[in-house]
Amino acid sequence: MNSLSRRNLLRLGLSSAALASLPGRTFAQAVAQPAPFNDYKALVCVFLFGGNDSYNMVVPRSNAEYNVYAASRQNLAIPQANLLPINPLNSDGAQYGLHPSMATMQPLFEAGQAAFVVNTGPLIEPTTKTQYQNQAVALPPQLFSHNDQQDQWLTLKGQTVSGTGWAGRIADLLRDNVAGQQLALNASLFGNTIFQAGANTVAYTMGPTGPLPFTGFADTGIGLEQRLAFERIISANYDSIYERGFADVQQRAVATADLVTNAIANAPTLNTVFPAGQLGTQLQTVARLIAVRDRLSLERQVYFVATGGFDTHDDQEQLQPGLIGGISDAIAAFYDATVELGVANSVTTFTQSDFGRTLTSNGDGTDHAWGGIQLVVGGAVVGRTLYGTYPLLSIGGPDDVGGGRMIPTTSADQYAATLARWFDVDPMDLPTVAPNIGNFTTQDLGFLA
Amino acid sequence: MRHNISVNNRRLVHLVTLLSAFAISACGGGGSSSGGPPPPPPPPPVTKTEAFQVLNQASFGATEAAADQVIQMRIEGWLDNQLQQPASLQLPHLLSLPRPPVPGQLQPDRVDIWFRNSLSGNDQLRQRVAFALSEIMVVSQLGALQQAPYSLASYYDMLAENAFGNFRDLLEHVTLHPAMGVYLSMLGNEKPNPALNIRPDENYARELMQLFTIGLVELNIDGSVKLDGQGMAIPTYNQQIIEGFAHVYTGWNYAGAPSFQQARRNVQNQTIPMQLYPAFHDTGAKMLLNGVVLPAGQTGDQDLTGALDNIFDHPNVGPFIAQRLIERLVTSNPSPQYITRVAETFNDNGSGVRGDLGAVVQAILLDAEARPATPADLDGKLKEPLLRLTQLWRAYDAVSTSGRYPVGAAYILFGQGPLQSPSVFNFFSPFYAPSGEIAAAGLVAPELQLATEYQNTLHTNVMAVYTFTWNSANVANLNPDDVYIDISEEMAIADDIDALIDTVADKLLAGQISTTLRAEMANMLGRIPEPNGEAARAAEAIYLVVTSPEYAYQR
Repeated sequence: MNSLSRRNLLRLGLSSAALASLPGRTFAQAVAQPAPFNDYKALVCVFLFGGNDSYNMVVPRSNAEYNVYAASRQNLAIPQANLLPINPLNSDGAQYGLHPSMATMQPLFEAGQAAFVVNTGPLIEPTTKTQYQNQAVALPPQLFSHNDQQDQWLTLKGQTVSGTGWAGRIADLLRDNVAGQQLALNASLFGNTIFQAGANTVAYTMGPTGPLPFTGFADTGIGLEQRLAFERIISANYDSIYERGFADVQQRAVATADLVTNAIANAPTLNTVFPAGQLGTQLQTVARLIAVRDRLSLERQVYFVATGGFDTHDDQEQLQPGLIGGISDAIAAFYDATVELGVANSVTTFTQSDFGRTLTSNGDGTDHAWGGIQLVVGGAVVGRTLYGTYPLLSIGGPDDVGGGRMIPTTSADQYAATLARWFDVDPMDLPTVAPNIGNFTTQDLGFLA
Repeated sequence: MRHNISVNNRRLVHLVTLLSAFAISACGGGGSSSGGPPPPPPPPPVTKTEAFQVLNQASFGATEAAADQVIQMRIEGWLDNQLQQPASLQLPHLLSLPRPPVPGQLQPDRVDIWFRNSLSGNDQLRQRVAFALSEIMVVSQLGALQQAPYSLASYYDMLAENAFGNFRDLLEHVTLHPAMGVYLSMLGNEKPNPALNIRPDENYARELMQLFTIGLVELNIDGSVKLDGQGMAIPTYNQQIIEGFAHVYTGWNYAGAPSFQQARRNVQNQTIPMQLYPAFHDTGAKMLLNGVVLPAGQTGDQDLTGALDNIFDHPNVGPFIAQRLIERLVTSNPSPQYITRVAETFNDNGSGVRGDLGAVVQAILLDAEARPATPADLDGKLKEPLLRLTQLWRAYDAVSTSGRYPVGAAYILFGQGPLQSPSVFNFFSPFYAPSGEIAAAGLVAPELQLATEYQNTLHTNVMAVYTFTWNSANVANLNPDDVYIDISEEMAIADDIDALIDTVADKLLAGQISTTLRAEMANMLGRIPEPNGEAARAAEAIYLVVTSPEYAYQR
């Protein structure tokens, strides 16, 4: 295989291992060549590293429920009068409000472009407090541990060992449908993530403002020679897996950098103003890439963007307005950009985070818990709705396993399966994406149409 | 106190060995004529390749000068010498500088002194182990310590000073250091107040066990996961135990304050151990690991001693720390036997002392798996990006006109910098396995997590600047803080392409260069015209090596 065709294949996100198995696939492909989608959809995962204290993001504001909340949260409670009222179309009898820093999200929710999935988190099967206490159900291992619960959200692996993430498995499932894409289905703007690791596909990782061109490489003259020499060095045969792993990354970098950089350079200027900061910068880059989707023949994309600082063991009251306001402002601006680009109905943004946090305080902060609230935004969102069951926020209550750690009543698998279904993953393939989905009666939570 | 004994014990054992060897040879002095066994042949000399191999494991990068030293002293002798070197420190340097209006403005100076010590400190092994420990017991400038550069410098100094000491001491120093106190919020953590739903902070309790000492599940001595009768991993602790330790770590704050609540950070108290304020310590009974319960009514000091002893004595610590340190220094995928040998040294240094880190480091570096008879047999690892840089800068005597190395943005340029991790989980996970052949083989390549398309491109571009622009032929055009490499030797032979390639390959690869890399270097060098192409040729040769996969591989 010459280096050019290898490069083209790498551009599609096929790993070396996958390349090795290609000849064996040819017959099967010829028999049943999956069709391209002929439309565009993007999922944008906004990961909130550290564990967002989301029970301060959507808060009951009706008196009875607020009083329970305030009694549990004490000095960490948002004052009732400061909550930004929202009016969900579905009612559980209580009224709700948003954290006061979410002024940009409040109108999107009220207009039906945003929804929240409440008390969701990793579960293997439906779990009650009694079952939890009696160890009568299978539980995700290492609850309350950052990296383990991040992995649960990103891989949905439950008690199994998994080297792939649910977006990676989506890419594996759809790779023949999107064979014409010039960029891998999965793209990260926040480093390597297991979320996008597939068995047969590889994500492309760029920086917060997109990929970088290589200094000193050119299409003519000595710059071309430099590039070719570099390419031959990284395409050589190496004895060690470490050298090969490193060289594979370099090959994808060289193969893709110019393509994407040139495409972005030709992107139309967006009028939408993004907030400064990590999340705003990454989402602005995603918007610019979506703007050139046709130039790169893109039909299905999963973007991974992220920000950190949510592990508020200390100073939560001071930190939370910036953290939650930051999510709200960046995602709202991104939604505006998709409207400006005419793709609002084709782009769905959703949050994930390690876990919710304890309702109780450690003095000036909170500790690691379990269930929490996630935000979904986009034109396809059946919005102005709280999906799932908002828990009773009482310490020692029916959903509390101790210290105000809520047992999720909606699983991360259901959340992912709903997103995957909208993304046109075949219903038969949902267990591949969300391995525990068969343990839950509702496979599609209905927040996307 | 037992730890001073441990160092003395090791010296004693060494001395005894020497003495008995002397005694045997003295007694047998007249024996050679009476037909005794001939003396064993002297061991073969250390090769340059072997010297580079140990130096890339045990220093901030092999150089030809350092290799000569290793060859002369032999590897064991060089290691013995390194174990005796006192720590090069950071804090005295920071304290010698004028105090800026905003303390965080000193962070580039902290990175500067890290580079000075790492590039040219005589205590290379100590600094390298300190760097490894800083990636296990993580604190970071990014976050609540941004305005505490003195605290970070002092923390790193503490790691360097304890790098060859006893692990139990290290645990206590780490636990009571105010940098860790701030980073994992033990500082200011107080006893429960049930009326306000306030319970102790669990942050340090959790991460000390998960990340610094025992991990999440019980391990066998060879680092493998212990399984129960159902084939399931056995958790090392549960939430009740986390809460037990969280209650232990109550009542500590900056030292010397009028009261717990009035403790505020200043230049001095951010560099000395936290102090117990007894009124804020919880005095109830506390559940620890392996069924140990601390009785009610103990002082905060008694609780801390009991808790740290409890963790230190957990059987996981040996294999856990052995594997982490082997991964940082030698190989990403040590054999179970290698981990076992090092873990057993942790458990007992040969003199009955547990936790002797100097002995552990020696065991790691002198093990047959780190020192194979044929150097190419070593499995090795990918070099961390920062170590790829320090090796270049050491090999090419990099300096700046100002004498400083203020690479404050190292964490952006290289994806990592000294005490600049994005979180307590370090720059990369010890379990990272990219999909493809590495994951398929059940292996890991932690450093590869940093090697994204973006980070590799950025690194390659930075290397272009550090070779083509920031070099000794271009000093007149550089800023005082630009760190430049000395390419004068390469320029002097630049008209001889083969000699130039040999020189660069000798300095950076111990002469072990692949035919592909050599051919491509020759090709590119031949395209750079003479005359006046000397600097460009020298830079080109170095650039192609330091961006190559074979240079990125620590073998």
